[in-house]
Amino acid sequence: MTHTAIHISRVTKVYRTPFRRQATVALRDLNLEIAPGEVYGLLGPNGSGKSTTLKIILGLISPTRGSVTIFGRDNSVVAARREIGFLPENAYFHKFLTGAETLRFHAKLCGLSKSKTTARINELLAAVGLTDAGDARLSTYSKGMLQRIGLAQALIHDPKLLVLDEPTAGVDPAGSRDIQELIASLKNRGTTVLLSSHLLTQVQEVCDRVGILHRGRLMREGQLQSLLGIENQTELILENASPDLLDGLEQQIASTSARLIVRRKPQASLEQLFLKVTESTEE
Amino acid sequence: MITSLRRIRAIAGTTLIELARLRVFYVLVLFALVLIVSSTFLARISFQQELQVTKDISLGAINFFLSLLAIVATAQLLPRDIEDRVVYSVLAKPVPRFEYILGKFLGVVGLLAISLAAMSVLCLVVLHLREQSALHEVNRQIEQLAPDQLSSTVRVIHTAGVNRDLIAALVLVLAKSAILAATTLCISAFATSNIFTITAMAMVYLIGHLESIAREYWLQEHVAGWPKRTFLALVAFIFPDLQAFNLSDQVIGGVPIPAHLIEQLLGLAAFYIVSYILLATAIFYQREL
Repeated sequence: MTHTAIHISRVTKVYRTPFRRQATVALRDLNLEIAPGEVYGLLGPNGSGKSTTLKIILGLISPTRGSVTIFGRDNSVVAARREIGFLPENAYFHKFLTGAETLRFHAKLCGLSKSKTTARINELLAAVGLTDAGDARLSTYSKGMLQRIGLAQALIHDPKLLVLDEPTAGVDPAGSRDIQELIASLKNRGTTVLLSSHLLTQVQEVCDRVGILHRGRLMREGQLQSLLGIENQTELILENASPDLLDGLEQQIASTSARLIVRRKPQASLEQLFLKVTESTEE
Repeated sequence: MITSLRRIRAIAGTTLIELARLRVFYVLVLFALVLIVSSTFLARISFQQELQVTKDISLGAINFFLSLLAIVATAQLLPRDIEDRVVYSVLAKPVPRFEYILGKFLGVVGLLAISLAAMSVLCLVVLHLREQSALHEVNRQIEQLAPDQLSSTVRVIHTAGVNRDLIAALVLVLAKSAILAATTLCISAFATSNIFTITAMAMVYLIGHLESIAREYWLQEHVAGWPKRTFLALVAFIFPDLQAFNLSDQVIGGVPIPAHLIEQLLGLAAFYIVSYILLATAIFYQREL
């Protein structure tokens, strides 16, 4: 029997402050299902309930009402976390450890055998581009490097589900692109990824489905294409089209009931320009 | 899920490194200074008194520094991990909160054991050297002393010097500081600041040292009714009787410490440590991270 990777059923979370009457409702009746192998993006402004959702999934906090299962197992059972890798937002780790020592510590927590650990550490340091910095203490790491080692520790036990809270926060565009590529490769290997992010372009590039949270409610959810597609418009991108051809097309459109909204040259994104410039300089 | 010793060891090891990096071992330098300075002043009094006073100062200083280390080092462990979000990446792994608490506690106990070992070695070396110098002095005066007087003087020096009871007293100091560490961990499991934890522990320390006096006073000098007896029993149950672990007076006075008393005290320490660790775990399970 195949279980959904994450099943959230009618979860409500209310934070109560001691000695105060008022309570904060962080999540209201949240229902969410994420299929195995899917990359799901959780979007929302600050205070919308994204981090609360992730913490509930990980069993770090308990829901006031409702239930959560991970691959069919109740998430409050510690064993359910064998399948999960987690990268917290702005992750801090023990700064007195080196990158390799940090991974070794987390490997022990996950019960990895000694014989497998060293090979796995080397593999992950290479995957996140920190092979040369593996023996340096985390106190010397930049924010981007900390995020990368955070990602490596989340992957140390090769989890079936990866939960990423703002995975590219503080990472430069090149590093951010690497993380995106890593997520894509994990998806190809069948890993389920749940990520929360403010960077909508990145979410758009890597996610199969997204959900938008606002004030603790799931406002919209679905596949990107169905959410973003504008039904009554068509985009046509031509290469090496002559001005005469374009004028002809415009005239033809004008003779019908259709309306030409815009005629312009497609533009590269600032991120694409940045990557092109920095990569060519490196060469 | 079966408790994993490997996970507990990993958390304990990292905690020990973390504490060592905080330069808490500077306390040992302070201890060495206390011992050296006091030894310099003691050179003027008789060798028997000198050995006893050295023992008194050493045991007092070890007791004080180890208790201080247990409270201060433990108080910041959980709040720091929560504030730095280290706890998220650890508890998001298949790590039960009990293992996390136990690992932290064992890390502190490791630090206390290393500190105690270092201070004890220093104390024993100083005492041994002074004992040898006292015996040397007696040997020099051998012709002036009668045989029975000689053997009694040598016995007095040996009793005042390094002996089994001194080692037992040092082990009990470790047991006491481990109780303090477990209590501190319990309070920090629900406290929101280090200052609260340290202040609360200062009160626990005070009550723990005074409760036996209060108990004796109320139970012997007055005819205590059941409310007072219940209250005292409750205080004794909640607050560990720390004064019971202080055997300095017997050790210094050369009064032999019976083995069964040491066993009872170690049993009492184990009871308090297990109780406080379980309570800390129960509180930490309820804590929203």
